[in-house]
Amino acid sequence: MRDQLDQLKALLARGIDLTYAAFLLSWDQETKMPPGGVQARADQIATLQSLAHEFFTADAVGALLDELAPYADSLPHDSHEASLIRVTRRDYEKRRRVPAALVGELARASALGKKAWAEAKAGDDFAHFQPHLERIVALRIQWAECFAPFADRYDPLLDHFEPGLDTPQIAAVFEALKPELVTLVAAIAERRAAVDDRVLHVTLPDEAQIAFCRQVTEWLGYDYQRGRLDLSAHPFTTRFSMDDVRITTRILPGNPIKALMSAIHEAGHALHAQHIDRALYRTGLDVGLMMAISESQSRFYENVLGRSRAFWRFLFPRFQRAFAPHFDAADAETLYRAVNRVEPGLTRVEADEVTYGLHIMLRFELEHDLINERVRVADLPREWNDRMEAYLGVRPTTDREGVLQDIHWSQGAFGYFPDYLLGSILAAQLWARMQEEIPEVEAQIGRGEFGPILHWLSEKVMRHGRKFTLPELAQRATGGPLSSGPYVAYLRGRYGEIYGV
Amino acid sequence: MVEEKLTQLKDRLARVRDLEYAAYVLQWDMETMMPPGGADARADQLATLEALAHQYFVDEEIGRLLDDLRPYEAQLDPASDEASIIRVTRREYQKKVRVPVALVEEITRTASLAHHAWVKAREEDHFAHFQPLLQRTVDLAIQWAECFDGQGNPYNPLLDRFEPGMTYDQIDAIFSGLKPELVRLVAAIVEHQDAVDDRILHLPWETEAQLAFGREVVAQMGYDFERGRLDLSAHPFTIHFGRGDVRITTRVDESISSCLMSIIHEGGHALYEQNTSPTLYRTLLDQGASYSAHESQSRFYENILGRSRPFWRHFYPRLQAALPALRDVDIETFYRALNRSRPSLIRVEADEVTYGLHIILRFELENDLINGRVQVADLPHEWNARMEQYLGLTPPNDRLGVLQDIHWAHGYIGYFPDYLLGTIFSVQLWERLKQDNPQAEAQVERGEFGPINAWMREQVQQHGMKFTLPELAQRITGGPLKWEPYMSYLRAKYGEIYGLS
Repeated sequence: MRDQLDQLKALLARGIDLTYAAFLLSWDQETKMPPGGVQARADQIATLQSLAHEFFTADAVGALLDELAPYADSLPHDSHEASLIRVTRRDYEKRRRVPAALVGELARASALGKKAWAEAKAGDDFAHFQPHLERIVALRIQWAECFAPFADRYDPLLDHFEPGLDTPQIAAVFEALKPELVTLVAAIAERRAAVDDRVLHVTLPDEAQIAFCRQVTEWLGYDYQRGRLDLSAHPFTTRFSMDDVRITTRILPGNPIKALMSAIHEAGHALHAQHIDRALYRTGLDVGLMMAISESQSRFYENVLGRSRAFWRFLFPRFQRAFAPHFDAADAETLYRAVNRVEPGLTRVEADEVTYGLHIMLRFELEHDLINERVRVADLPREWNDRMEAYLGVRPTTDREGVLQDIHWSQGAFGYFPDYLLGSILAAQLWARMQEEIPEVEAQIGRGEFGPILHWLSEKVMRHGRKFTLPELAQRATGGPLSSGPYVAYLRGRYGEIYGV
Repeated sequence: MVEEKLTQLKDRLARVRDLEYAAYVLQWDMETMMPPGGADARADQLATLEALAHQYFVDEEIGRLLDDLRPYEAQLDPASDEASIIRVTRREYQKKVRVPVALVEEITRTASLAHHAWVKAREEDHFAHFQPLLQRTVDLAIQWAECFDGQGNPYNPLLDRFEPGMTYDQIDAIFSGLKPELVRLVAAIVEHQDAVDDRILHLPWETEAQLAFGREVVAQMGYDFERGRLDLSAHPFTIHFGRGDVRITTRVDESISSCLMSIIHEGGHALYEQNTSPTLYRTLLDQGASYSAHESQSRFYENILGRSRPFWRHFYPRLQAALPALRDVDIETFYRALNRSRPSLIRVEADEVTYGLHIILRFELENDLINGRVQVADLPHEWNARMEQYLGLTPPNDRLGVLQDIHWAHGYIGYFPDYLLGTIFSVQLWERLKQDNPQAEAQVERGEFGPINAWMREQVQQHGMKFTLPELAQRITGGPLKWEPYMSYLRAKYGEIYGLS
């Protein structure tokens, strides 16, 4: 059986190398590539991806998996080998279900859709995007149908980005959360004046911001011998092994913490990628979609840790020094309150922690209805705006600020949005558990000792890569299923105190 | 039907080229951006991309398509894109399929070991560390050569790898004519050594300012930053991923001219790639004709233009503005310093006059090694004896002698002559260009590079790999490659600078 396993690993290694190479080409495109390189880069990435797909879906992979099935059954579920065989089979079966022609059509429609979306957004012209979105939804429905039978046509889409979760599970978690969030948002709205964030209305020099981002992420444990930080239009994390994991951030004039909080968020993703068990390198358990799990790490670092009072107690004097004299007259508490200001707004990526969840629920509900053909694309703008008003009490006056704000649907990425919120929810569960197991954790944060946190997360979450599904991981790490309870308690605790509600 | 076969051929070549371009992106990143931790995984990724590119290129189906396309090719103008694609692809295909995969792998493996041994030997100045692996490298090169019908000099197939269509005898005829002339000119300059002083080139100058000035110069020279970028690396190089993305690098050392002259040199290579015909994209022809053809462009811009008086009449006031320490240095002093000639031990630091002798020495030794007339063990002695004979210097150690270049460690036996052939050809191009455009020097003095670039594009660059160097020489100059114009150029330029009669 060792022979078959080695053969399987050799085939996968080729596919992974091609995947990592494609990631590097994308990183280069976002950060370094001159404009003239666009066309050729699209050709190169398409070739790498299609060859990787050939390796991952080769008949030989299926045959080896069949031969290895009894061997996998003889091993412990959480062993590297059993996990490799189990997850590879899951990936393989998913990939083989969808005809190559449909994959190609989706890729083409998405490429065109992305362009039309950018134009529609720039011109605030939903009608321009509508036919593209209709085509993409239709293709995505065809794609989902490849996985029939299912209880809900949206299930395969969810499973694509975060295996192991289905619609009822997520709906149950979100349904419990929604009224809590709406209530909390309304209560905070009445006490809006309690937080003043004027201290943040300054523009800081770019170079100093980048240097500070590097410093802070390094304190958190991000290893610059195995990574680097650059600027890009949208912050992201990518990796070409666990020893080359790169992050980007962006600088927003007039917002002195955007670059920092983005860098911390991406560093959370990057710490995850840098701490995947080395034994999983090049197996496919080191790379691939696990959006909610990864998001739990980025949101843990950005929000749970990065917006905590203990963290700002540690950070503030350093922040002050790095940007002197801008914050000479401020204090840690003012900064802490300012970075946690809650304000219902129209744009998801600018939303605070409290309102964020409602932006996601709206999208979850709408895409669920779209895929099940209960909402028509033409009705999306109105549906969007109505729900914004119902959940957040604000109504977009343009589609640019409404239904056209996100790129995801233009790329055919339905089923992705829930993972952002699931990540936040899991982050709060992990935090609750971590506090039980490391009672002095807040004091450590206040002293800038981030090693124990990283060690804990690395043991519970990061090192496993894609070995476990999110429900499995939640059970192992927190002792229970995914649940919004700790998240609600966390939000109530932090924001109740700040706003006095 | 025939068109279909050509399309099939092009599709297969496109896949090969995409993999090669992707590998180039990975290499560029490795030299300029990659954090240290990324090295191991990068080696895996490059090995996979290169192995797949090779595997897809030597596919028997490509051989069949090339055979089937023979009659079609025969009816076409040999200079047409189609005929050239078929002809050149066949030539390269036959070279690749003749060598057994096992031998290719053995050469790659040995090169990797030899590289490490060379680094160690050089660090410790101990040739014996390198000797066994260099011996193995030479043996493998001979085995490689034996794959090509052992007629004539076994050095020929090795030369042909880098310079298709040129044999030892042809090159030897050129170098033998040149050698005594160069030795004489070098000796004459040595007698007038004090005529030129280059101390003014050793000034402090900040890296950022050097790069900014280099960018200005190379942009004015015609390098398109919309389709390229400039970065720092340990050794300057040019790399391209299609004509829309052609990147250059440079380095900074204690001389203020080093960074700039590297930028101009690489800029010459880059203009070649940026100006290759778009119809050759994703075929093998989407690259320079050969190593020496490439070098003819880089040396043309670096030496013939970049070290000329007209060039500096235009740029010197700008340089003085960028580096105020030069304000009191007159242009003539600067021009002479930039063209200082003096025998030295290291090839890459050699000036225009002595450079050729460094190459001729290597060419002779390579030929003798491959033909068994010189033993690897005797190389240090042979090297030093020739250095004394040609340049009047004896290296005090092997680090400054036979261990200075990386080429042999990588198995690049047969590469060195191209540096000099390119330089020789650059002068032939210049002579012809001036006949066609008598205003060329006046244009350079006004900073107008457009007409010169247009001529170069028309005559050389647009053709990519369509023609061999001898074919290009024939088309452009109406005759073969000749050393005499090069010698006249050197005699005139340096005779004047050094006041030789």
